Amino acid sequence: MSRVAFKGKSMKNGWDRRVALLVLLAGLVCVCRTSGQEYPVATKTLKNGMKILVQTDHSIPNVALYTFYRVGSRNERPGTTGLSHFFEHMMFNGAKKYGPGELDKTMESNGGSNNAYTTRNVTVYQDWFPRSALELIFDIEGDRIRDLSFDPKKIESERGVVASERRSSVDGQNEGVLDEQLWATAFIAHPYQWPVVGWMSDIEHWTMEDLKHHFEMGYSPSNATMVISGDVTPEEVFALAEKYLEPIPSHAPPPPVTTTEPEQSGERRLVVRKQAELPLLMIAYHVPQTNNPDFYALNVMRSILFQGESSRMYQRLVDKDQIALDVESESDNAFDPTLLLFLAQPKQGVDPAACEKAIYEEVERLQSAPVADRELEKAKNFRLAEFYRQVRTINGRANTLGTYEVFFGDYRKLFDAAKNYSAVTKEDVQRVAKQYFGAKNRTVATLVPENEEKGKP
Amino acid sequence: MRMGFGGWDVSVLNRAFKGEKRIPHPAKEAGIRDDRFGNAGELMGSPVLSSSGQAGCRRYLVAGFALVVAWLSCGSAVRAQKLQMPAHEKVVLKNGLTVLLLEKRSVPMVSVAGIVKAGGLADPAGQEGLASTTAGLLRKGTKTRTAQQFAGDIDFIGGTFEADAGADYSSFAAEFLSKDTAKGLELVSDALLHPTFPQAEMDKLLAQAVDGVKAAKDSARDVIFQYYEGYLYNGKGYGRPTGGDENSLKKIQRDAIVKFYDSYYTPGNTILAVTGDFNPAEMKKKIEETFGAWPGKAAPAVKVEAASPTKGKRLLLVNKGDATQTYFVIGNLGISATDPDRVAIEVVNTVFGSRFTSLLNEALRVESGLSYGATSFFSLQKEPGPFAMYSFTRNETTGKAIEMALEVLKKLHTNGITAEQLSSAKSYIKGQFPPTMETSGQLARLIVRHEFLGLDDNEVNQFEQRIDGVTPEMAKQVIAKHFPLENLTFVLAGKSSEIAPMVKKFAEKMDEKEISAPGFWAGAK
Repeated sequence: MSRVAFKGKSMKNGWDRRVALLVLLAGLVCVCRTSGQEYPVATKTLKNGMKILVQTDHSIPNVALYTFYRVGSRNERPGTTGLSHFFEHMMFNGAKKYGPGELDKTMESNGGSNNAYTTRNVTVYQDWFPRSALELIFDIEGDRIRDLSFDPKKIESERGVVASERRSSVDGQNEGVLDEQLWATAFIAHPYQWPVVGWMSDIEHWTMEDLKHHFEMGYSPSNATMVISGDVTPEEVFALAEKYLEPIPSHAPPPPVTTTEPEQSGERRLVVRKQAELPLLMIAYHVPQTNNPDFYALNVMRSILFQGESSRMYQRLVDKDQIALDVESESDNAFDPTLLLFLAQPKQGVDPAACEKAIYEEVERLQSAPVADRELEKAKNFRLAEFYRQVRTINGRANTLGTYEVFFGDYRKLFDAAKNYSAVTKEDVQRVAKQYFGAKNRTVATLVPENEEKGKP
Repeated sequence: MRMGFGGWDVSVLNRAFKGEKRIPHPAKEAGIRDDRFGNAGELMGSPVLSSSGQAGCRRYLVAGFALVVAWLSCGSAVRAQKLQMPAHEKVVLKNGLTVLLLEKRSVPMVSVAGIVKAGGLADPAGQEGLASTTAGLLRKGTKTRTAQQFAGDIDFIGGTFEADAGADYSSFAAEFLSKDTAKGLELVSDALLHPTFPQAEMDKLLAQAVDGVKAAKDSARDVIFQYYEGYLYNGKGYGRPTGGDENSLKKIQRDAIVKFYDSYYTPGNTILAVTGDFNPAEMKKKIEETFGAWPGKAAPAVKVEAASPTKGKRLLLVNKGDATQTYFVIGNLGISATDPDRVAIEVVNTVFGSRFTSLLNEALRVESGLSYGATSFFSLQKEPGPFAMYSFTRNETTGKAIEMALEVLKKLHTNGITAEQLSSAKSYIKGQFPPTMETSGQLARLIVRHEFLGLDDNEVNQFEQRIDGVTPEMAKQVIAKHFPLENLTFVLAGKSSEIAPMVKKFAEKMDEKEISAPGFWAGAK
């Protein structure tokens, strides 16, 4: 990962933009004449249960292909935390036809590139390639889903890679360190409590058996959704899917995650002391899973509080009080009830408590009085523009469609979302502010610099 | 998702999560994006960080690296396999403003990208960050709007406006829905033509910038390239921090900002590209109405000190006492964005260090597991920018990883690259090219940058044939000429007490600096 989870963009963005689309479809397309491009999607479910979504776009001779597996760190257990992510790495390290190193070499020499990411909920594989490589990519994807191999030497060297990744993205970043502690404190029962990259001691100790078990658990074709956007036709994609993917047998999906996080009944606080130039503050609130109806109102609320320099939190902490360099809100798509995070980067010499107090006052303001009409409209305009930014590339569309399909259960929920989104009222915003953003429901994490006095050499 | 003052982040999901397969490009780590996936607000050459994974407060810390891949951030291909730059028009208004118009009707949005031909290189000595601060203040108060009103107006239409400075130029970018074109253009012109630079806003911005530098120093990977540029150019030219440092930012006065603006922000010194969903004839008229009254006058030329490659082997060790991992950059002066060898270098560097199966990544990551990744790049700017190899590894393996990187470089010289590698690199470059010019925002930044550099549409139209035209002989020459073996500058950020004994041997001269000490590298005392 390039960024710590906390810092990274999450799929929520995708949603945000899609939601905005709905507003567009509902009211604006008509004035936008030819620009109101639509993105028809063809779907097919293979006999083994894998679902394929195809969205054709011939504007560039390229293709974006995303494969979403519904398996992530929530499907892990203590002792093997980080295994989903490690496994994601191993998916590039050799199968039957394309041995170690051959997947990347073959793909790149045919003009393609790839990547993958793992979250608490899903593992997603991405291929970007010229259309001439379409069949090759299906061959490669089929090979590794069907016949992944586990070379003991590769496991050991990849262990070093992931440890380096962890040091770079978590241990070497203040946000990474604090974010990890925050999740571990806010959750006491549910698997969301451990980091996606895994605890270092687990990275050092998982075994080949663990990997094999993970493959068997998470990688049934029926547990995957593939989304293709770009210079292809549904017919050719479906034919290739039938040839390369359909023969792969299906098996049981991961066992359901049955642990429910008990309701939090009082504020939790934690402090991290480390060498740092500046302190850091993060506040987490438990909120429902992605497909909960409050999703839309929560996003509107976040826009009003955090989006743009005219947002309430920016105006208050950065512009007026001048106690923070930056304020942000973060959340991630989730199958289970999750966290919504507020972050403030205090200025040097500012007590994080001052930022905390200002944040609570802004939350209380939201709870005690309805937002202005213009603020509500602004939030919706933001999301409309963001939506277009998301869908204007084949890459963005592949990701967007897949995210809807996986987290809302159906990519067409897009249209319900439009309706739900424009239906958000000032009262809804006030209600969710009261319901989820109380003191009892929050976990507060503060990073305190240990060396503030030293500084100068 | 992050919502901060970047608002519009691209959500390129491959950089989003715990657990990417691969290392992002180091320049991306420094907050620079190659924009392959069409993010909106990035500014050319002087990327604004708020959209990247970094906190917005770190926007001043960017090293000015552009990728080799990024200079070519064109591509095209409307339906056909043949890459073609979309038709666009150049108009010079009576006041001297150069306007580039490109119609692109994919989504109902309009993108604006502009360059003012003076950046950090025009900062007076000791006032590094002046150009950047001037740009940052454009939206912080105009003749008719307070900073808060400007933010309210641009946010209300879901638009973006950002401005910053790189070394070569200052730049601004905006984006809005096409239904809001009139409002959007008016906001851009208001910021560009009528800023008032209120003292209170200046004080705020500078204080944030100073703290932003400090916050960035909490993450070695976020600042390693700042130190590298400083050390490589010995604190001159591209070696001066365009975003300023803890000392220089404190010396910036309002008078200097006003003077910088008055001198350089003139229509004749500005290039404005507008792309997206509009009728070009109507847009031309609107631009004339909005920007035509901007009074023209001559701007002074920016003097640039010529840099030359460093001699021998020299090493800067930046101490970060709590580091568990060492970040290192090795290289020397590279090439300019218009260097005739740039295409051949692109092909060779793809083999050497700029893709997953590159020689460097194969060695340091795939085969040894020493690092999450290793890469190399040439930063392409108006004058020769840095060439750099970059990786990171745990403290104990620092010496070993650097030796390995040097070994890979040596092998590039002794073994050259094979016909197969050459062919593979060409396919890779060509295959990855079209998505770099998929959106109107990408196209706006591309054409305005070409105009600035004096490059033409053949950068796109002849792209494939130029790549295909790179011969093994050319590759050989490029390796000998542009991949230095003997004369190397090393910059490491890590825990000195553990790594210094391992790394002294790499250079004849070793300098040291505390990461928390103000500044980056301002030249030997």
